[in-house]
Amino acid sequence: MAQATTAGAAAGDSTGGLRKLRGGVFWTLLLIYGILTLYPLYWLFLSSFKSNAEFFNSPFGLPQEWLWQNFTNAWESSNIGRAFGNSLIATMGALVITLFISLLASFILARFRFRWKGVVMTFFVIGMLIPIHSTLVPLFIMMKQIAMLNTYWALIFPYTAFALPTAIFVLTAYLATIPKDLEEAAFMDGSGLWGIFFRIMIPMSLPALSTVIILSFLHSWNDFSFALVFITSSTLKTLPLAISNFADGYQTDYGLTLAAMTIAVIPTIVMYLAFQEQVMKGMTAGAVKG
Amino acid sequence: MQLKALSSRKFIIMGLLPAIAVYAIFVFVPVVWSGYYGFFNWSGIGAARFIGFDNYTEIFRDPIFWTALRNNIIFVLASVFGQIPIALIVAILVQKDGKRSWFMRTAVFMPMVLSTVVIGMIWQYIYHPQIGILNFLLEWLGLESWQRVWLSEDYGIYALIPPLIWSFVGLYLIIFIAALQNIPGEIHDAAQLDGATGVRKIVAVTLPMIKGTILVAVVLCISGSLKSFDLVYIMTRGGPAHATELLATYMYNSTFTSYRYGFGSAISTTIVLVSLVLIGISQWLMSIKSKSNQ
Repeated sequence: MAQATTAGAAAGDSTGGLRKLRGGVFWTLLLIYGILTLYPLYWLFLSSFKSNAEFFNSPFGLPQEWLWQNFTNAWESSNIGRAFGNSLIATMGALVITLFISLLASFILARFRFRWKGVVMTFFVIGMLIPIHSTLVPLFIMMKQIAMLNTYWALIFPYTAFALPTAIFVLTAYLATIPKDLEEAAFMDGSGLWGIFFRIMIPMSLPALSTVIILSFLHSWNDFSFALVFITSSTLKTLPLAISNFADGYQTDYGLTLAAMTIAVIPTIVMYLAFQEQVMKGMTAGAVKG
Repeated sequence: MQLKALSSRKFIIMGLLPAIAVYAIFVFVPVVWSGYYGFFNWSGIGAARFIGFDNYTEIFRDPIFWTALRNNIIFVLASVFGQIPIALIVAILVQKDGKRSWFMRTAVFMPMVLSTVVIGMIWQYIYHPQIGILNFLLEWLGLESWQRVWLSEDYGIYALIPPLIWSFVGLYLIIFIAALQNIPGEIHDAAQLDGATGVRKIVAVTLPMIKGTILVAVVLCISGSLKSFDLVYIMTRGGPAHATELLATYMYNSTFTSYRYGFGSAISTTIVLVSLVLIGISQWLMSIKSKSNQ
């Protein structure tokens, strides 16, 4: 369609038209690339409604009959519902702890002057250089010794620890830009430091918190390696771990497996489409700083 | 400000303590411990036996280690020469705001928010030798001779590259678009006056302006390649015959399938050392960046 209109314009004016034609070709190529990018997801959604026979016979077509029972079967015949809850507990637990302790630390790093400030910042920077996977074996040994394996804490603490540095850098940078008048006034009125923290600092940092919430949520929700190593009890498996085991168990029931995969990606896709600009900004900021 | 009262000292310590404690216990202490356990032969039960550098000599004599290291380097190169050019070209074409540009950004960035488990499983279906849509597609196009077992010993590591690029290219696209939008308008006007347009303008004006950002992207590709455990574990488990092993899957397979915690700790420490070398290379790249900015 875009090509047709640009071709018409090309007939009128020579150089400008040529440029428009080239623009049309570029856009067609880009559009093909964009569609190719989305195709695997589109295929996943369509196939999750298909029966096994259709999955084999028309891999590219629309489902003849939309089998919603693939979803109900997946939810019931496996522990997907349970796993959904486990993911929610581990993700939310890590999120709440990350927000509270990173805000507290950022308040202090942004607002107080003390001798060890540089050391504390360097401590977090050095830690960011450590690849996550190199901590799997030692953390496994440590958690085994203190009987932390197969508990929610085995996930909540590592998720928190690896979310902390970015959270602290983002929040400290943001809090440093807020004028100090408000908290000085509150201090004069006799508010304690905790009062200033809860009544002024937390509400003021809300804009920067969205970045921290998005990053922490996506990392914890999508984590696979920590859950794989620290969780073996089937009642505690998180969604990614349960899905990967589910696929091993139901290898031949494709509609069911694909429905389970769809259930796992819907929350993140909804979050992405609802908060697109913040998600993009947050994830690029997190990557560049990390 | 008057916050330097007596109580503030206690508050500083109380406030920083939780963050520092969680971070130290779950990031720093484990790394130090794995350095220590790397000198022991230990199955997790009973006493650990000190064996000096034996674990490390075993690692360096193990051909699987070298395959894994080579595969990690292939991933770095594929990221640098795959993701960055694609992201740059798309970014240059869609940098202006508008509906079409919004669609491209939304589509290309989407895989970034998906679980790697699901990404890996979708691509397993794409590559499946009997029911995979790639082989179906080749048959439909009449290219039966191109059909093959994609996740095999010969092609496996290269077949893992498209899903790798597909998952992360959106990140670089957004970084490049931000950098392109930061180029001041006067520069474009000046280029226009000098008669630079199209590809010539891109090579002579645009690319030099965002050289710093491109180097940052290269650094991200290097550090990102060490984080690809999930994708490879889901798609191949490092197989067949260890052909697609990465350092992280090598560590996982050596530790948890044979209960060799000392040996696994030594590999963990090796991964830390390899990543420090890679960070050193990154820093060197960044020093080129700061020189080029002067």
